[in-house]
Amino acid sequence: MHIEKDQELLHRLAVNDDKALEIIYLEHYPMVERMILQHYGSADDAKDIFQEAMIVLYEKAKEGNFVLSSRLKTFIYAVCRRMWLKKLQSGPNSAPLPDDVEESADAAEALEAHLEKDAQFRQMETAMGKIGEPCKTILEEYYIRHRSMQEIAEQFGYTNAENAKNQKYKCLMRLKKLFFAN
Amino acid sequence: MNELHKIQEIERYLDGEMTAPEKEAFESLLRRNPDLQREVSGHEAFLSQLRGHGQRQDFRARMNAIHPRAAAPAHQVQPAPATIVSMTSRRRTWYSVAAAASIALVTSLATMAIMQRSAKNSYTAKYEDVRRVLNNIQRSQNALIRDINNKNTGPANPGTYGGTCFAISRNGYMVTNYHVIAGADSIYLQNNKGEAFKAVSVFEDVSSDLAVLRVADSTFRTAPLPYTLKNAPSRLGQEVFSMGYPRDEIVFGMGYLSAQTGFNGDTLAYQVSIPVNPGNSGAPLLDTNGELIGIITGRQSTSEGIAFAVKSGHLKRLLEELPKEKFNRKDLKQKNQLTGLPRVDQARKLEEFVYMVKVYN
Repeated sequence: MHIEKDQELLHRLAVNDDKALEIIYLEHYPMVERMILQHYGSADDAKDIFQEAMIVLYEKAKEGNFVLSSRLKTFIYAVCRRMWLKKLQSGPNSAPLPDDVEESADAAEALEAHLEKDAQFRQMETAMGKIGEPCKTILEEYYIRHRSMQEIAEQFGYTNAENAKNQKYKCLMRLKKLFFAN
Repeated sequence: MNELHKIQEIERYLDGEMTAPEKEAFESLLRRNPDLQREVSGHEAFLSQLRGHGQRQDFRARMNAIHPRAAAPAHQVQPAPATIVSMTSRRRTWYSVAAAASIALVTSLATMAIMQRSAKNSYTAKYEDVRRVLNNIQRSQNALIRDINNKNTGPANPGTYGGTCFAISRNGYMVTNYHVIAGADSIYLQNNKGEAFKAVSVFEDVSSDLAVLRVADSTFRTAPLPYTLKNAPSRLGQEVFSMGYPRDEIVFGMGYLSAQTGFNGDTLAYQVSIPVNPGNSGAPLLDTNGELIGIITGRQSTSEGIAFAVKSGHLKRLLEELPKEKFNRKDLKQKNQLTGLPRVDQARKLEEFVYMVKVYN
């Protein structure tokens, strides 16, 4: 029954319900922070790891076919633990993380997928970083925030939406080039 | 078809912006051109990648907005405002709070009970009258001797108490503690020369623990009283002395006034640092000028050297209630014969006016 409640929260998370995000975040962050602080980490590490895990969760939820087989808490904890373990092992002074009782098959799977996607996202991030203004904002406004071409034209001072649209295509092509270049 | 146009077309196709004939033409083009097909799916993937990237950034921003609330109180007891925390954790918090509260409640109740009981115990234990149980050993020895001589003698009277009293008039009025003569059948006074006088209680004041006795013999007369009654309150550190009968012999004691109030803040009394023993009850307390400042009543049993004395002001109030025709108040207002005398002379003069009280009941 807890799982059902968690599943419900996930559905709300997928549709960008701020309240659901808040509930999940506030309820689980302290646990993760404790775990990381206990294992040679700082509060900043905890924040990074936890938010990364939340992204995994968010994207999983967005896919729509994600069914929790354990409690949300278990899932988040497992993901965070694995991520932290990886980070520790990649670090200069790797220390073993004690084994925990609870494991989650979901977590392992989700994390695997996440790591694959993560590389691509990092590429996208660098590409977006290189593209420069006004392309970055135009693309963000159109593809991410779903603003209409008309609004964007007004914001950037194009005489009409058609001009803005052309500019957007040019930007998109540049982004594509940057993205596939590396 | 240049690149720009191609992208535009692909996007229009993906967004469903094409009109039906346009779409049909584009799809037939797709079927014939696998390169274009790959480009379309590639573009689709790219766009979803871009959107996903945006979503992530968005999501990060939203999380960062929440983070301060999650991080700041993480080390404190309550990690978030109660309304936000979901039911499970709130209930868990309630359980632990309730458990802690009940433990605290039980602990404090137990502590209170224990403290109260020990307080009650110590109340009776700490304060101790200093009348004494007289001659028990002596009497039991006597009884043994009598037993040898005469086996018909009954058991000795065990309830016999002793204290001290002192004269407040020349015609046989004495002051002692109420607790010394409480429940007395008969009262005898005995001076330091061993002379005994029968006395009766004429006035008793339970609240200040004082009693006035009168020698039954109406012809009883003493020398003029050497001491006077001090009206003004005495100050801390005042040197005081006292004479009483903790034994069958008169005993001189010396000390100083240590507090303005008596046991448990009793304002009727002084706290005096002076050695007192059972039998000192009712003994006069005089300052170095020979002025009567109080009457010894008891001591604190838990610590050494703490005695209590009723203030002389209360004695004065008491004396004013005595019948004027019989009790001569002027006897206590004569010239003080002790002032300026060395201590030994003061003691020698005082001892005549201090009597042992023997109480039979």
